[in-house]
Amino acid sequence: MAIEILLPKLGLTMDEGTVDEWLVADGTVITMGMPLLRLATDKIDVDVEAEGEGILQRAVPDGATLAPGSVLGWLLAAGEAAPEGAVAPVAAPAAADAVVITTKQGTADVAVESAGGRAFISPNARRVATELGIDLSNVVGSGPGGRIVSEDVEEAASRPAPAVSSEPTKAVSPLARRDAQRAGIDVAAIPTATGYASRADVRNAIASGPTQSASAAVATSAAVAQLPAYQETASIIPMKGMRGTIAARMQQSLTEMAQLTHGFEVSMDAVVALRTEMKDQYSALGVPVPSLNDFIVRAAALALRQHPILNATIVDREIHLLGRIHMGLAVSVPGGLMVPVIRDADRLSLPALAATTRDLADRCRNGSIGLDELEGGTFAVTSLGTYGVDMFTPVVNPGNVGILGVGRLRDSGKWEGDAWVRTQVLTLSLTFDHRAVDGAPAAEYLQTMAELLARPLVLVS
Amino acid sequence: MTTPETTTRELTYVKAFNEGMHQVMAEDPDVFLIGEDVAGYGGVFHMFDGLLTEFGDRRVKDTPIAEQAIIGLGVGAAARGLRPVCDLMFMDFVGVAMDQIFNQAAKMKYMFGGNVSVPLTITTAGGAGMSAAAQHSQSLEAWLAHVPGLKVAMPASAYDAKGLIVGAIRDDNPTIVVLNKRMLGVKGHVPEELYAIPFGVANVVREGTDVTIVAIGRMVPEASKAAKKLEDSGISVEIIDPRTVQPLDTATIVDSVKKTNRVLIVHEAVEFGGIGAEISSQIQEAAFDYLDAPVARLAAPFAPVPYAPILENAYVPDAPRIEAAVRRLLERR
Amino acid sequence: MATPTEALDEVTPATRELVLDLHRRMVRIRRFEERAGKLVESGDMPGFLHLYVGQEAVAAGVCSALTDADQITSTHRGHGHAIAKGAEFRPMFAELYGKTTGYCKGRGGSMHIVDMNRGMLGANAIVGGGIPIALGAGFASQYRNDGTVAVTFFGDGATNIGAFHESANFAAVWDLPVIFVCENNGYAEFTSQANHMRLTDIAERAASYGMPGVIVDGMDALAVREATIEAVDRAKRGEGPTFIEAKTYRYFDHQGIKGMRIPYRDPAEVEAWRTRDAIALIEAIGTERGLATAEEFAAIWAQTEAEIEDGIEFARNSPDPDPADILDDVYTV
Repeated sequence: MAIEILLPKLGLTMDEGTVDEWLVADGTVITMGMPLLRLATDKIDVDVEAEGEGILQRAVPDGATLAPGSVLGWLLAAGEAAPEGAVAPVAAPAAADAVVITTKQGTADVAVESAGGRAFISPNARRVATELGIDLSNVVGSGPGGRIVSEDVEEAASRPAPAVSSEPTKAVSPLARRDAQRAGIDVAAIPTATGYASRADVRNAIASGPTQSASAAVATSAAVAQLPAYQETASIIPMKGMRGTIAARMQQSLTEMAQLTHGFEVSMDAVVALRTEMKDQYSALGVPVPSLNDFIVRAAALALRQHPILNATIVDREIHLLGRIHMGLAVSVPGGLMVPVIRDADRLSLPALAATTRDLADRCRNGSIGLDELEGGTFAVTSLGTYGVDMFTPVVNPGNVGILGVGRLRDSGKWEGDAWVRTQVLTLSLTFDHRAVDGAPAAEYLQTMAELLARPLVLVS
Repeated sequence: MTTPETTTRELTYVKAFNEGMHQVMAEDPDVFLIGEDVAGYGGVFHMFDGLLTEFGDRRVKDTPIAEQAIIGLGVGAAARGLRPVCDLMFMDFVGVAMDQIFNQAAKMKYMFGGNVSVPLTITTAGGAGMSAAAQHSQSLEAWLAHVPGLKVAMPASAYDAKGLIVGAIRDDNPTIVVLNKRMLGVKGHVPEELYAIPFGVANVVREGTDVTIVAIGRMVPEASKAAKKLEDSGISVEIIDPRTVQPLDTATIVDSVKKTNRVLIVHEAVEFGGIGAEISSQIQEAAFDYLDAPVARLAAPFAPVPYAPILENAYVPDAPRIEAAVRRLLERR
Repeated sequence: MATPTEALDEVTPATRELVLDLHRRMVRIRRFEERAGKLVESGDMPGFLHLYVGQEAVAAGVCSALTDADQITSTHRGHGHAIAKGAEFRPMFAELYGKTTGYCKGRGGSMHIVDMNRGMLGANAIVGGGIPIALGAGFASQYRNDGTVAVTFFGDGATNIGAFHESANFAAVWDLPVIFVCENNGYAEFTSQANHMRLTDIAERAASYGMPGVIVDGMDALAVREATIEAVDRAKRGEGPTFIEAKTYRYFDHQGIKGMRIPYRDPAEVEAWRTRDAIALIEAIGTERGLATAEEFAAIWAQTEAEIEDGIEFARNSPDPDPADILDDVYTV
């Protein structure tokens, strides 16, 4: 009996995932737990592992974007034929403009043949397709078993035809084409590994800079064509997966919002002193002392209570002040960045906050973080202190209006009367979206932070 | 052809049938009625109330319990030019009279080179849902429709009950009119005048665009109930009642399927080898290129009619199950 | 095994016309059957025949007491009844040859010969199938009060089938003008009477239905006729049915001349019955009483021979039916 490999639903709101890359080939003998493919969502990349054993038979190509629950392939017994069924990948309909992926003839053939070679098309669908002049290889079936029914043909007929270029035609999904059009990018110029352009590819193209030229002669990577004649490419890092996602989101954030950053130096003497006191007690209990960052995160959360304008989101032409405070924490991971979210951060005690932070960071680094935990942040804190950075300009996460950057703890001095005494300070960098938050309120937030950090017992409770 | 909805004269199904009998017997002195308990008792379902009183015991007669003899008498009398109505009480009893029905009545016209006509009408009552159990609840129209020479009518409304019995008696062929036991009290519009419904002309009970339901007998009103509910979900259902399964109005059914592209056939009889199988086959032959889904059937499972109400209710299709079957037909991802 | 008996003294004196008429009917049956049997044996004619040779006196005696308006129903061994009732050779041979000029336009064959003009309501391939139909024929007589009667022929074997019992009781309780003529030739197909019932005299059954039962010598056409006249009179007086058991014998096998060639009868038995051959008997009666001459009888044989040749010639030259007409006459339009 064939074991289906399904596209996993990694989070409540996940409505599509892209098969970034199959890690094994058809015919490979698969054992339990073996990674089969890399799946990209707009938050994370994960490796989908085998949940059974058998001989791999793929049903969809690299780059296919599908809805959770879609069949990606099968693990077959020896000699078993793949079930007939999924012909082309289907993405869950997002809105009225249905999200349907058209597949290039070649990849569709691969998928169909390896699945038994039979397309299921109702007789009426064939008749209507003939009447309307629709190529059935470009139609995806919504009937039982993936059967193409006449409604599918009629819907295909009401969609604009795929772009035709003099080049070997690249297939591109309608949503991807829309994204490209909005960004002013020529679909034919989008670099792809498979000749199939997904939304991720378009995002990457957007992120990698303008490639506005609609001229032809782009058979190979556009990047190569842009290099000056005396330059060679040493190596290529594809902007796929997390890299591509980061690139797209950063650009999106910066182009959508009006971001400014305030730098503000705060004294950390009180926190440091308190921490020293706590160390002894905590080590007796066998519990690690909250870090400086934990104190700052707690302060940031409490300060948001007093400055709700910074815990908001802009929806169309409205600023929605959000009731709950979910703190995103930037965590550096190999290859990029993740932002797990501490829910109701203002209601967690300092030790609980510390423990949660540690746990989230660990799981980000070992890859076991869930998609749910990367979503829903209302504000974020990011730290480059360990790298020696003092002030920097963090980028607000799309959907938020503020982000707090934390610089390094450094020695400084201040005048106390006539004495020059030693202090320990760090710079807080608050980037805010000026569409919602003006400079003065932003500064006031930082003042509150300073006050909290100056009297850290408030933070410990 | 749709049932006219002009006046509001309402009769029950059984009274409409009875009225048809009275009127056609008054019109034609060659019509006589025989059967078990039809005269003095008026028939166990009261289909024949008042006929003995109106026409006397020359024309309305109680017989011994002897189904072969009853039908055989009808055959002989019909061959001699009379118009017998022979009642078989329960459709399940056709088995007892089967030789006279399918070997004699059905074939005399043909075997005798057209020299003999058999204008015989057999009346009976079929259908389940009355806890009457396996031998008093069957729907055997498929057996009868299968025999060349027979005609089979299945009224699904009071209007049809009168029009089809009149049509059957006036027809010069051996005809079986199958009433449904559970529809006897169903009211409907029935014109006062004597009228006949032509055989082989289906009734478009309800017009629609998304799916066709072909229903016979009591499944017609059940389909109507389901259609009303489906309408609330925006599903437009067309209901076709063939009225006679032999001859069958294939053309109307096929036209409907070509319009809606999906069809469900519903009947009380067992699904395997039921009349739905024939209709389904004819549809796919004539409208193959217009089907978006396989022709669906909803019918009784392959078992005798069970006794316990909980079992019998699960056995016979009903409006909720018709509704679910339609939704399954229309399923798309 | 029935024992041969002497011819009874008839109540109605035999006349010359009567003797010649009976002789003619019997000779026509005899020669037709013998010739037809040979034609099938040689492969010239299709199908298979159940030959009446030996039993001629029963058909001739009964039918000589009936008019064309009186109805008879028959059996699979029906050529004798048809010819005795007045059927002609041309359309009979044509039917056996399957030609359009046959009594059934080639549709029915041997077992469904019919001649409505002569009151022959058809041979019947189902044992006992014709008996209930005769009820209807008789009912029509009663209903119309037209002074006609119905006769149903059947064999000893048929008196075991349900349709017979139903019909006998039915006819008695309704006083139908139906005469039940049982041709007891001692065998139900290949099973002797002793092996298929306890009774020797089947007429004993009649009382159990409330009708009179009469036994006659089936090889004596005059005796058979007498019994029939009495039964017809009873029926016309409204006194209901009569059961006549004619003890007779068929010389040939159940079907064909030599049939299955399974020896289930003692040749001595056959020979014994042949010594009481019905035709020989009527000729003896005729000549002994000076009612007719040997030459006159010979002329009848010769005349019959000529008509048979004519009939066969006619049939062979008649057109075959067109397969395109295969659906004709399934229904009366």
